[in-house]
Amino acid sequence: MSLTITDVTVRRGVGPVISGVSLEVRPGEITTVVGPNGAGKTSLLEAMSGIVPIAAGSIQLDGEEISKTSRRKRSLLGLKHVEQGRMIFPSLTVRENLQLTARSKKDFDEAMALFPELEKRVDSLSVLLSGGEQQMVVLARTFAAKPRYIMIDEMSLGLAPVVFLRLVPVIRGIADSGVGVLLVEQFAQLALQAATDAVVVTGGRVSYHGPATTLLADEQLLRTSYLG
Amino acid sequence: MNFVVALVVGLSAGALYAVIGVGLTLMSVLTRVINFSIVAVGVFGAFLSIRAVPLLVQAPPEVRTAVVVAIAVLVAATISGLLGWIEATWLAEASTTARSAVTVASLLMLISLSFVLFGSRPQPLRPLLVGPAFVAGDIAVTKVGVALLITAVAVAVAAWIVIRRTPLGVQLRAISDRQTAAELLGVNVKALQIGVWVVVGGIMGLCISIIGNTGAADATSMITLVIPGAAAALVGAFKSLPMAIVGGLLVGALQGALTAFPSITLLRDWIPIVVIILFLLWNQRKEVWDVAR
Repeated sequence: MSLTITDVTVRRGVGPVISGVSLEVRPGEITTVVGPNGAGKTSLLEAMSGIVPIAAGSIQLDGEEISKTSRRKRSLLGLKHVEQGRMIFPSLTVRENLQLTARSKKDFDEAMALFPELEKRVDSLSVLLSGGEQQMVVLARTFAAKPRYIMIDEMSLGLAPVVFLRLVPVIRGIADSGVGVLLVEQFAQLALQAATDAVVVTGGRVSYHGPATTLLADEQLLRTSYLG
Repeated sequence: MNFVVALVVGLSAGALYAVIGVGLTLMSVLTRVINFSIVAVGVFGAFLSIRAVPLLVQAPPEVRTAVVVAIAVLVAATISGLLGWIEATWLAEASTTARSAVTVASLLMLISLSFVLFGSRPQPLRPLLVGPAFVAGDIAVTKVGVALLITAVAVAVAAWIVIRRTPLGVQLRAISDRQTAAELLGVNVKALQIGVWVVVGGIMGLCISIIGNTGAADATSMITLVIPGAAAALVGAFKSLPMAIVGGLLVGALQGALTAFPSITLLRDWIPIVVIILFLLWNQRKEVWDVAR
């Protein structure tokens, strides 16, 4: 049982932005992907969720090949992609954002319980919330869908560090509930602290793949991996 | 012609513009497309339904009318759904401009096809409703006008209820906001968008059946009704359903009012264009030159 990609290559324009990348996300664990700007992290997630096609390799969800499956079907199979940029639906209230994915009141209540601070804004338009609250809505909405795997892209983008610190334990909690989490972050230290496995992507290739604790403990290794 | 009578006659035509404006607004909001072929599919449905009349000579008039209208709605909905399928399949990620340009292509195709199938001669498309709905002094309000106004308001109210009060509406608003994000959450974007095309196409088929050949009798003249319809939608900035109704009635009333003045009555065909230009100028009033460009 895992979300596994093997030797995945993604092309955009003339050349590959991802070359021969392999990684595995297991239920109940957080795998963090870090790397410099333009390394191909977002393209990797977009390929996994089906926004862009892969040129080579395979993507398997609990043993089922999904590289040719539509992005909607992948979502229905339990693979959820939280895109970067706080993708709330502006014309929907907080409640409606969650109702979009929650199949029952229980799912809705469990998602709302992740962020009690949203309770007082539940009937507000999500576009009127602060950046941190919007990210909470996006995470709660994704959790309400009862995913098997969540891929989160640059959650910290545009947020104050204190807000990111509020979100990390929630993601840890989501993973503890049995969901596999793939966390793409530039906020390397905090993201690695929450993770079991770490992958460093540089120039579209994996320059490190191993325990997150090893990378955290060895600053030289982290720096070398970042530089490719 | 008495000015008030001319105004009321114009309002009847305005009711049709209002329905078209509401349809255009719905499609713009929910499918990110300005559908220039919206009237053409309705005309096609209605004109093709006439072909069924000879097959129904034995049927009672009510049954015949119901079948013909049903065929018109079905054909228009099918053609519209086909166009929607093309848009949703091959232009899902395209810009509004590109998606709208395709509807211009389909409009031209339907106009060409109408010459082949129906020629340029008037078609015997009898209106669904004949005669005045009520008469007050010199003023007679036609059944067609009342029916179209009721249709416009009913469509706008029904759309508002569906969009604002139902889970389906939540999904429609989500895909209107961020199509890819909605799809990544499992929303069936393609089916919903095609559904909108089918419903709006069906409504257009019904409306053209209601007016019959009271407005114009040949296909091309009817298809150009999309221009005043677009003017109506523009009054609501392609976002507001109530304002699209107001816009349609406004355009119709202005056109009607002009017919009371014989020396300038020919200018009535300019009214939609004038409304469009005025709206665009009004919309640009607060634009800063370099930002707008």
